[in-house]
Amino acid sequence: MATNPAHNKEILIFLLSSIGLIVLPHVYHLHWGVFGYFCFLLAWRFVGIWKPERLPTFPVILLLIVSGMAILYVQHRGFLGRDGGTSLFVIALGLKLMEIKTERDLYLINYLAFIVAASQFLYEQSILMAAYILFVTCVLLAVLVYINSYVAQTSVALKKAAVIIAQAVPMAIVVFILFPRVEAPRWLLFNDDHQAKMGLSDSMEPGSITDLGMSDELVFRVKFAGAIPPAKQRYWRGPVLTQTNGKKWTQASDLSYQKYLDKLTYMGTPYQYTLLMEPQEKNWVFALDMPADYPKPLERNANYQLLTSDNLDKRSEFKLVSYPTYNTGYLTKTEFKDARHLPGEPSENIKQLVAQLHGFDSPPDVFINQLLNHFREEDFHYTLTPPLMEENPIETFLFETRYGFCSHYASAFVYLMRVANIPARVVTGYQGGEWNAVGNFLEIKQADAHAWAEVWLDKQGWVRFDPTAAIAPERIEKNIDIARLVPGGLISYAAPSAGAQATFDFLKKARQLWSNVDYNWQRWVINYNNTNQASFLSSFGIADFKTMVYWMMGIVGIITAILSLFLLYRRPKPTDPVLIVYNRFLKKIAKAGLTKKPGEGARDFAERIKSKLLSQAATIEQITDAFIDQRYGRNPTGRGLIELNRLIILLKL
Amino acid sequence: MKLKALKERYGLDRFFLGERTVDGKPLTLNQRRIFILPTKRGLGFGLLILLLALIAFVYNNNLAYMLAFLLGSIFFITILHTYKSLAGLTIQEGQANPVFAGEAAGFGVHIDNPTSVERQYVQVKLKTVENFNLKANSKAHLTLYDLTQKRGWHPAGTVTVFSTYPLGLFRAWSPIRFNGKALVYPKPANQEIPFPETGSTQNQQGRFKKGGDEFYGLQGYQPGDPIKHLHWKAYAKGLGLFTKQYGGESSAEIWLDYGQAPGHSLEERLSHLCRWVVDAEQAGVSYGFILPGLRLEPGYGPAHYRKCLEALALF
Repeated sequence: MATNPAHNKEILIFLLSSIGLIVLPHVYHLHWGVFGYFCFLLAWRFVGIWKPERLPTFPVILLLIVSGMAILYVQHRGFLGRDGGTSLFVIALGLKLMEIKTERDLYLINYLAFIVAASQFLYEQSILMAAYILFVTCVLLAVLVYINSYVAQTSVALKKAAVIIAQAVPMAIVVFILFPRVEAPRWLLFNDDHQAKMGLSDSMEPGSITDLGMSDELVFRVKFAGAIPPAKQRYWRGPVLTQTNGKKWTQASDLSYQKYLDKLTYMGTPYQYTLLMEPQEKNWVFALDMPADYPKPLERNANYQLLTSDNLDKRSEFKLVSYPTYNTGYLTKTEFKDARHLPGEPSENIKQLVAQLHGFDSPPDVFINQLLNHFREEDFHYTLTPPLMEENPIETFLFETRYGFCSHYASAFVYLMRVANIPARVVTGYQGGEWNAVGNFLEIKQADAHAWAEVWLDKQGWVRFDPTAAIAPERIEKNIDIARLVPGGLISYAAPSAGAQATFDFLKKARQLWSNVDYNWQRWVINYNNTNQASFLSSFGIADFKTMVYWMMGIVGIITAILSLFLLYRRPKPTDPVLIVYNRFLKKIAKAGLTKKPGEGARDFAERIKSKLLSQAATIEQITDAFIDQRYGRNPTGRGLIELNRLIILLKL
Repeated sequence: MKLKALKERYGLDRFFLGERTVDGKPLTLNQRRIFILPTKRGLGFGLLILLLALIAFVYNNNLAYMLAFLLGSIFFITILHTYKSLAGLTIQEGQANPVFAGEAAGFGVHIDNPTSVERQYVQVKLKTVENFNLKANSKAHLTLYDLTQKRGWHPAGTVTVFSTYPLGLFRAWSPIRFNGKALVYPKPANQEIPFPETGSTQNQQGRFKKGGDEFYGLQGYQPGDPIKHLHWKAYAKGLGLFTKQYGGESSAEIWLDYGQAPGHSLEERLSHLCRWVVDAEQAGVSYGFILPGLRLEPGYGPAHYRKCLEALALF
């Protein structure tokens, strides 16, 4: 634009809108103060497009800067780390909007916007976010195209930007694959205060929950190499809760008995699988019961739970092997003490119940069966919205309310076992998972969180029992989709109508397809780190750093060559045949020493040469008329062209 | 011979001064004539990419890496696009019209886009910058202006065709040395001084009469007729060009003599003489012109006028 683009209304509207788009997703990530401050500045600038006199003067800008810094300080005590840094850039972007004087400012804002765009990825790396940022990148580039265009049109600029991006994508992908990844040194990692992430907690207090949230958030995915365990065996082991005060269940504080544990023996066919964990706050890795082989940073604690010494705040992948049947062997003294601990003397009601179910006078397995039958035959219900049980939750649950979810059943079960002097504990984790038929992997969501019981039996070691599975199917509250929550296969609904089933199947299929895309996205894009890269590239024989760089440069060179050919090769211009014929005429005239000047019209030229070539004036006139008619006329005909050609041939000088 | 051609081909002056045009033939902008370097904004973009890569590295974030690589590729590809915004254009020198010293001389440039690619925002610079948009298979004619100071020939110098399209990250430019030159007449003196007495050289006692105002008829237009005497109304009606004839014009005849021009220096005198020529032509008087070593018989009209001024410019 010839005039100053910083005063061009359309450019400003275009730029400010794209800035708004770039910052928009941060509404979920940033503190409302920072986001609100930015929105305030953006709105002010929008007003300034039409009322420039309303824009802040220098002292006001100074005041805005100070208040921006104050917000930053109050929120983050600085600008290091992800949140602080993002807030800093967002605030800087907002402040820069207040001062747009030259084209340079427009570019600076544009560049700042790209940094804010990158900061979105620090919070979310989904396909949708990537697509969104790609779109906004296109808009930001279009602003630049707009600035550098003569006649600016939004659609044309957007199209040009899209074309440039489309041409840049193959090269970017090649560089992405081949660019050597090095892990950042530790000191570079800024510590962030951790965001609250949904997940299993290290304690449970079923009596204090009246509404168990069912989140569809993904926790991890599992891809099996070979056999897949049946639904009943899909118990993903998490924290083991041994200690209780009667209300709250927590992990054992002292796990030092690990060195005295008996040797685990495994039986049956092992399952080999890859676990892809979503970012977690805790360092728990949910392995299929019972993990036998696990890679290096992982460790198995005294309760057979897998832990990692690494941070799990990024997606991480583990290759594991688990055995469905196992024997943990003898019980250590500590375990024996902990697993029989009762918070106090059990009530008469409880003792009576245990006696009634032959807890005191028969072997453990008989009592266990009796108890599971009790749950099944008595009026116990499964619900996600149980009543509040503040005092004596176990007793209240067993004798009064009889409504509860897995934690109620598991805790009551374990408590009763302990009353009968049988070592028992609560195991939490996830159960089941949905099979994705498209991608052939299992998806485990927060809603799959589960609690079950483990009982130590002589000669068998710790054995898993799931009291929730014992609830009669018809007693499950149907208004909640908890099919996944209870052990697979044991509970089923009456089949819905055929039509609804078809729709449901279709939706399920679509969802699975999407999940599969998402899985591969996470596996191959988000989680593509130096280990992945090395193993992926070595399958192409690219082993070391140097070869990687050579390949990268080579392929980028080839892409450049193809693009150059595509962009710069000009097909020989298809010339108008009329022009070819007319050029013959010009050549003839040139022999007489008369040439057409550039910019001189055919008619002017004819007038000029007619006076010099008087004998041919009439023919020249005819030729010129025919030429103009053929070239610029409304309906050029083939015959007209032949006639023109004939006239030129006949022209004698 | 060969060495000379090579020298010419890779000489630095092609970079700094530009390619010479030959005999006003059109020059096609190609890889030999187009230079390309990042602009300051382009360097800034490079810094941005580095910063994004750093963020990606610190947070080990693959999508941030991807964004950095994408912008890097875009940066790279923009080189081709910017080159493409000039490649294939043909530049041809046009006419340069004579001017009086102190005025801006205009140099014509014909730019032809024989390709099927639309050109956005191509800029041409001499002293001032002109910009234009060229549709596929179209031409543009521009006049570039350069201020003149001294009479004589004023060379066009180097004309630079450049573009920063599409993103402003790179600047492709092609300097072309134009051969054309504009003739610069002396600057007419500011003060109006009466025409010199002409009695000494001409016996006829010419009574100076400022233009005849006695209209006596129309006559077909002849090249050289003063424009202000054209009968525009008739022309507008489509009747053709006619010149209004006034009586009394031929009666006045003056001689403009360098010897009689006031002034202390050569330039001052030429300046006054120039002023006389301009005034006489405007008045429609028949005037003779005398410079040391040159004598033009009285006459008037553009051809005569131009001859006098040319003589002044090149004296």
